[in-house]
Amino acid sequence: METFEPVIVAFCCHYCAYTAADMAGTMRLNYPTNVKIVRVPCSGKVDTIHMMKALEKGADGVLVAGCLDGDCHFKNGNTKATKRVAFVQKLLEEIGIEPQRLAMVTMSAGMGPRFAKIATEFTEEIRKLGPNPVGAAKQAQAAADKVA
Amino acid sequence: MTDHTAEHNKPILVIGGGVGGIKVAMDLSEAQKDVLLIDKAPAIGGLMTQLDRTFPTNNCDLCTISPRLSSGAREKHIGLMPLTQVTSLEGEAGDFTVKLVSAPRYIDLEKCTACGECHKKYPECVRFVPGLDHRAPTCMRYPQATPQAFSIDMAACLDVDGLIKCCPANAIIPDDKEKTETRKVSAIVLATGADLFDPGKLDHFGHGRYPNVVTGLEYERIMSASGPTLGELVRPSDRQQPKRVAWIQCAGSRGINREDVSYCSSVCCMYALKEAIVTKERFQNDIETTIFYMDMRTFGKDYEGYYERAKDQYGIRLVRCRPHSIIPEKDSDDLRISYATDHESGMITENFDMVVLSTGFRPSAQTTQLAETLGIELNPHRFAKTGSFQPVSTNRPGVYVCGVFESPKDIPETMVQASAAACMAAKHLPIKTNEMPAAEDIYPPERDVTGEAPRIGVFVCDCGENIGGAIDVASVVEEAGKYPHVVYAEMAGHGCGSEALARMQSVIKEKGLNRVVVGACSPRTHEALFQETIRKAGLNRYLVEIANIRDQNAWVHSNARELATAKAKQLIRMAAFSVAKSGPLRDHQLPMNKNVLVVGGGVAGMNAALELANQGFKVVLAERNGRLGGLASVVRRTLEGDDVRAYLNQLVDQVNHHEGIEVITNAIVVDHAGMPGKFTTGFQIGPRMYYRQIEHGATIMATGAMANRPGQYLLDQHKAVMTQLDLDDFIEETPAPIADWESVVMIQCVGSRTPENPNCSRICCQTAIKNALRLLDLNPQLQIFVLYRDMRTYGFSEDAYIEARRRGVIFVRYQHDAPPEVEAAGDKVAVRFIDSVLQRPVEVTCNRLVLSTGLVADEESTEDLAAIFHLNRTEDGYFLEDHVKLKPVDMSVPGFFVAGCAHSPRSIRESIAQAQATAARVQAMLAQDTINLGAVVARVDPEKCATCLACVRACPYHVPFINEDRYSEIDPAKCHGCGICAAECPAKAIQLACFEDEPIMAKLEGLLERIA
Repeated sequence: METFEPVIVAFCCHYCAYTAADMAGTMRLNYPTNVKIVRVPCSGKVDTIHMMKALEKGADGVLVAGCLDGDCHFKNGNTKATKRVAFVQKLLEEIGIEPQRLAMVTMSAGMGPRFAKIATEFTEEIRKLGPNPVGAAKQAQAAADKVA
Repeated sequence: MTDHTAEHNKPILVIGGGVGGIKVAMDLSEAQKDVLLIDKAPAIGGLMTQLDRTFPTNNCDLCTISPRLSSGAREKHIGLMPLTQVTSLEGEAGDFTVKLVSAPRYIDLEKCTACGECHKKYPECVRFVPGLDHRAPTCMRYPQATPQAFSIDMAACLDVDGLIKCCPANAIIPDDKEKTETRKVSAIVLATGADLFDPGKLDHFGHGRYPNVVTGLEYERIMSASGPTLGELVRPSDRQQPKRVAWIQCAGSRGINREDVSYCSSVCCMYALKEAIVTKERFQNDIETTIFYMDMRTFGKDYEGYYERAKDQYGIRLVRCRPHSIIPEKDSDDLRISYATDHESGMITENFDMVVLSTGFRPSAQTTQLAETLGIELNPHRFAKTGSFQPVSTNRPGVYVCGVFESPKDIPETMVQASAAACMAAKHLPIKTNEMPAAEDIYPPERDVTGEAPRIGVFVCDCGENIGGAIDVASVVEEAGKYPHVVYAEMAGHGCGSEALARMQSVIKEKGLNRVVVGACSPRTHEALFQETIRKAGLNRYLVEIANIRDQNAWVHSNARELATAKAKQLIRMAAFSVAKSGPLRDHQLPMNKNVLVVGGGVAGMNAALELANQGFKVVLAERNGRLGGLASVVRRTLEGDDVRAYLNQLVDQVNHHEGIEVITNAIVVDHAGMPGKFTTGFQIGPRMYYRQIEHGATIMATGAMANRPGQYLLDQHKAVMTQLDLDDFIEETPAPIADWESVVMIQCVGSRTPENPNCSRICCQTAIKNALRLLDLNPQLQIFVLYRDMRTYGFSEDAYIEARRRGVIFVRYQHDAPPEVEAAGDKVAVRFIDSVLQRPVEVTCNRLVLSTGLVADEESTEDLAAIFHLNRTEDGYFLEDHVKLKPVDMSVPGFFVAGCAHSPRSIRESIAQAQATAARVQAMLAQDTINLGAVVARVDPEKCATCLACVRACPYHVPFINEDRYSEIDPAKCHGCGICAAECPAKAIQLACFEDEPIMAKLEGLLERIA
């Protein structure tokens, strides 16, 4: 059986996390290709619905990446994001999806190595968890539809 | 990098591209003035780019400042010449002729993509400013270097042919020559900074001999993520993490020995505290931190709190003493420091794994040479000479100075002086009247694409080997052609090159495209460029989406070509899905009111008003009291001995007679409305309190502070007790009795650095010494005691401290928990204190007791004004600036600026610099005829709004409010564009333009929808 390659969406704030991801590039640090970045002005902009939709559509993991505590370009967007992520994790638990599929991380714009490290570790963690049950169910449904 | 300035008026020449020079250039270009910025290094950035973090915020602001400097974002008004120096200057202010010599870079800036092939294959050929060493990690001076290009040291290159071949962009110019150019410039700003002292010259500290003795800057490099160890804190000798680190302050400063300088560098106490705090933050109790210091000079705004946190919260150990030497431990790399303290007899010996020497600023030989070339005078310490009331002017008219070359200072002060220098230099340019070309002249009319089905063009860069080396660009292009709404896809080569951009424009027109996707590098650096390009092709600039397939794909997956190619396809698919859902956006605009309101008629307010009026602005100067003058009207002499009253009289006279300034006295602010560029402020004026409204575009807050007068030590109870201000006046008005005095005691920090008023008033140490020296001039036999906690005679005022000690003033330190005691003794006063050296009580009966009471915020008035104008204040009631380093005189409410003691306690000279800085910032803001509010703002759909107040509570800037129609409204003029309200809104009634839900969801669909 081939190894499972998870799809991971990373919502990165423009001022820190997205810049750190660019920095990882400048420093030519390697990390798995599974992580795909969506740029947002602030991690506080990442809506509950964005996280849920990503998982519903079949993403296996979702990262919300903001500035370090106290360094938010918009004062406190990152703390709001942290709270929101915790809230969505609870929702996930209630509907039977592993809450570890969603994580809040913080870094400064200069932390390219940290971005690469997180991307690598998170990919590994999700790989261990296996495919997102929603995606798997959908695929099964699609296969069933075809047969019918 | 093209120089746009040649065809315009004579630009202003800025010499030195550190943070100061960059700030000058940015302020001037914002004000639509042309600037030529030169630096002797291959990239601008100066010293700050080598620092890990900067105090007092302990973050890396490089990331905030550098995107604004990248070539795509830099405005048309700045010409940049790296590797360039001035060799001669002729002519006069307004019409200078300079000769500029540029050293060969051996690299074509137009072609270099900073891919790093040359550095990878021939590391020894690439020029790099080492800052500890070690070629690492990218050989760029800093990761976001500007210009983003390498520079070659041809002399070090052995295989020139190989080097030429290894460059995929064909950018190497092996026979590049030195170039000389003669230019006309109207004014010059010197922002050359200074060197840091090389402590290798001091044999007792062993820097250069013992590997684990490093300088403060070297420690920064070790801590820095872009430094030689990639941010791993290890000591140089064995690459092990140290357990005990010591800092020794004043290495080479405040000394009298060979190689020492007498002055204080003003920044080292703070940077040592910062390095220790950052160390503690990262390693907590794994690393012990100790700072050996003489006086802790944390005199800046809120710096005292920083010092307190260092001690209390982080547990940084502070030892007051000056260790005389460092000795290496036998058979180990450890270091031994022997020292003596006041309260213990004998020497104490301690071992450390690593010792950091806090070295200060030294003027560089090159700058001294430059001063000679330009004909400007230096002070005895070889820094630029300026006047007490002209803080950024040199002796040569038209030549200004800012930053460390003027005197040692930190980043906030440098930024203030930079703006001040921008203001002063701009005076030598003719006042422009509406010659800004209208937007229509630059751009073709915008095509209306509403109602059209999306027609997307995809352009994929290969960026030489940068992208093409790691992914199969041809297959990405082929695949992109199949995505929904994509009607055209092609390879773009170096997409940001001028040829490729021209081609993109013609393809847009030919194929009738109405959306564009570029597979390229980071939108952080190139979005503005591509937006500009499609706008030139007649499309709204928000109809382009960049897929970052270089920095976030090709560069990080170089080892997995297939996977990287697949990811590139997905990223472009996401961008195509998203751009299909994007619509044209308008930048919000309003006509600008160009009048200025200055609140407060002290030295700061008057200087700001004068500078602006001289530039053709109409200014209303509102003063609460009956007459102009403010706090300075009770000060008689500066530390340098200048007559403050004479200066003030001449200033008031100028202001009162300037036709561009209307002075209103007895004026109280009562109401305020509007937005930046269009404010209305109401006043009640005069004894009859008649009401008047003033319309203005910008506001300067210069409301000053109050002389503190705490009821301590018999002040106002005994005739022999007075404040330093009282003494200042006494010396001028009634000096006769002083000749008969026998002794005077001064007590420092009265009512400052206490729990009630935690900050340092900054000016009192200088003031006490100024008055002590004046007393000694009148009565050389007078016995003067100064009881102090830390002497904070920063910068060159240290010279006066030395002079005072030389002339017999006795300085005695007291502890905060054991303050002096004071008792009346007839018409004299008895002062009892514990001598810290003798460790025993001493009593002095003195003719006068003088209290250094400093300044306190005028809480009542700043509270009222803050409420009316919605401004932020510090905990102790001063106005809060927007950003302590990046925007030190801007306030967080756009259109508001702050100068003088309303910001924090400071000297007259420092207040004037701030006033000039606000004038520059106001000019920059009012240079536009319209107020551009940008497009990224949140908008409420009234149909969906349930008036739940979620947005009102969530907004970090308190912008949303419930309007008369009972729904939430967001003023685009105040919105910062973070989108937090949009995320919190349960009814989805709020959308953030540019980042609406639809395109974000479309991105997810583009990624996750399985292709059937």
